[in-house]
Amino acid sequence: MAEDKKEYFRWVESTYVNPDIDWKKAEIISAGIDVGSVSSQMCVLCDGEIYAYSNTRSGSSSPNSAQNAMDLCLKDTDGLKLDDIHYLVGTGYGRVNIPFCQRAITEISCHGIGANFMYGPTVKTVLDMGGQDCKTLRLNEKGKCLNFLMNDKCAAGTGRGMEVIAEILKVPVTDIGDRSFDIDEEPEPVSSTCVVFAKSEATGLLKDGWSKNKVLAAYCAAMAERVVDLLNRIEVEKDFAITGGIAKNKGVVKRIEKLIGVEALEPKMDTQIAGAVGAAIYGRALYKKQKK
Amino acid sequence: MFEKFGEILENRHEYAREWKKRTGGKVVGFFCSYAPEEPLQAAGILPVRIIGGHKSSDKVGKFIAPNIGCSFCRDALGRGLEGDYDYLDGIVQGQTCLHTGEAFWVWEKHLPVEFSYFLAVPHSTQNVGREKYLAVEYAKFKKALEEWIGKEITNEDLDRGIDTYNTNRQRIRQIFDYRKQDNPLVTGTEALDLALSGQIMDRNEHNQLMKEVLEKLPDRQMDRDPGTRIMIIGSVNTDREFMDMVENQCDLPATIVIDDTCTGIRYNFNDVNPQDDRLMAISLRYNHRPPCPNKDWPRRRRIPFIKHLMKAYNVEAVILFNHKFCQPHQLDNAVIERELKAMDIPNLTLEFDIRIPIGQFRTRVEAMLETTMDII
Repeated sequence: MAEDKKEYFRWVESTYVNPDIDWKKAEIISAGIDVGSVSSQMCVLCDGEIYAYSNTRSGSSSPNSAQNAMDLCLKDTDGLKLDDIHYLVGTGYGRVNIPFCQRAITEISCHGIGANFMYGPTVKTVLDMGGQDCKTLRLNEKGKCLNFLMNDKCAAGTGRGMEVIAEILKVPVTDIGDRSFDIDEEPEPVSSTCVVFAKSEATGLLKDGWSKNKVLAAYCAAMAERVVDLLNRIEVEKDFAITGGIAKNKGVVKRIEKLIGVEALEPKMDTQIAGAVGAAIYGRALYKKQKK
Repeated sequence: MFEKFGEILENRHEYAREWKKRTGGKVVGFFCSYAPEEPLQAAGILPVRIIGGHKSSDKVGKFIAPNIGCSFCRDALGRGLEGDYDYLDGIVQGQTCLHTGEAFWVWEKHLPVEFSYFLAVPHSTQNVGREKYLAVEYAKFKKALEEWIGKEITNEDLDRGIDTYNTNRQRIRQIFDYRKQDNPLVTGTEALDLALSGQIMDRNEHNQLMKEVLEKLPDRQMDRDPGTRIMIIGSVNTDREFMDMVENQCDLPATIVIDDTCTGIRYNFNDVNPQDDRLMAISLRYNHRPPCPNKDWPRRRRIPFIKHLMKAYNVEAVILFNHKFCQPHQLDNAVIERELKAMDIPNLTLEFDIRIPIGQFRTRVEAMLETTMDII
């Protein structure tokens, strides 16, 4: 019974503070808050370097989600407060409801800038796999978004879809990627790309005797196929990087790489913070412009 | 200055009912802008474009499967089935796409009216003999109208109809010209109200309202940042909520300066050039108007037309809107997107249903506007 109460969709909320930076000595402290449909992040930059970030689960209220992300981010920062931050940019679907932001910029632009920061200026194509949407971006060498495509009206192929499958199969969401490769033979992708119907299909496959791992493999493959359509439409150009929570799922990432024939750059930091990082970089630029 | 057009559009059914009561005239609904309105006007009839209300209806699914019929036709038919158009005495469809045709045929069968007419229009308005063909079809249409109303439509009547419509289209273009300015004196939302109200109200009354606007417009002071100059490309645009979101709710300023839609410039771009054979004159106008994708083959004439508008109105970004399941425009949009990419013009394709997800659309529009921004 105890197992039934376990929430398999949950991932660990995290926080980070760079011990080598003293924020009190920083000339410009900028920050970004990304309030997404599933997760919220805050990132603080001191003179353009990551000083602190948080990664939390979103609630039903955008202002509260932003506040939670900020509380967690600033918790271990030796007294850094909102008032000490020179410029704060909000992003994500909840960006217009963050009361303490000076400006809102879309998650599309912020992910582009964030990916440029996290992976370097050679990144031309970005796939962001978020909680309830997927987007593909074409960037210039500064990380500015030149063109983008997004999925519409459906949570299939997104983090929330993966969480639903984790619950159905009672497999921790963070284990899905590795387990999806622990199979004898790669199965066909599940035919449905709708989260609700995929659930029915997964249940049916289990009844047919498929192992959980095989069902996970079929679901990861379906998710990969779905986003590859978006990538093909925007035309992938190297270097290619993936941001968002699903970037942590090797089961999806490796299958995408196989389908498009391009390897994604290896992430050097938490892929979920890309939007908040981008927002913080915008915040720094806007503060500098404001000072001129 | 443009409030009156918006009010009439908002209360279009009350307007039509009041017009009927006031004049004792007949009202005919038309689905597509290839229905010739000049002969209807000549017959003393009020032509009213049948448009949706951005409201769902559970009555449509019985006739048109949601995943087949385009959202505009489903919405328009839904309003009919819900009784919004109960004042119509007749309906006319100028043949274009199968979806509007289907809406017409369902209407004809299930919402009987005194007069219904499906008018054959050349599949391609590039075919040899198209003008003659359409003029002959117009003669049949005119005869059917005369039999219905019980009187002859004379050349003098046709001249009046032609003159009213020419005046209407010319004044709309004159007002649209003020959108070419660096700070356009007419917003896209106002332009939509203006042009769309011209498809549902008495054109002489519409002409009078426009005359008053034209007298005041040169002195108008705009207190808004025009921002990015946007063009809308698509089929039938009746979505005021969307236009208002783009121009007034985004974090970055923007103005819709022109469109290529059949509720905008495509409908109003050219006039009937008078000649002795009035029906041929009207045929020439409809054959040579900027085409809709259904009529635009084998050569795509829309592309140079769009490029001409982009230059004339100094367009900086484009929104391609597509009604869900509207295949003719979907096919054209792929080509237009390619052209825009070659021109390095930021563009965004959005799929419209009966109701739109305004928050999601706002994110996409803002992201497109941000591509024109230079912060970093």
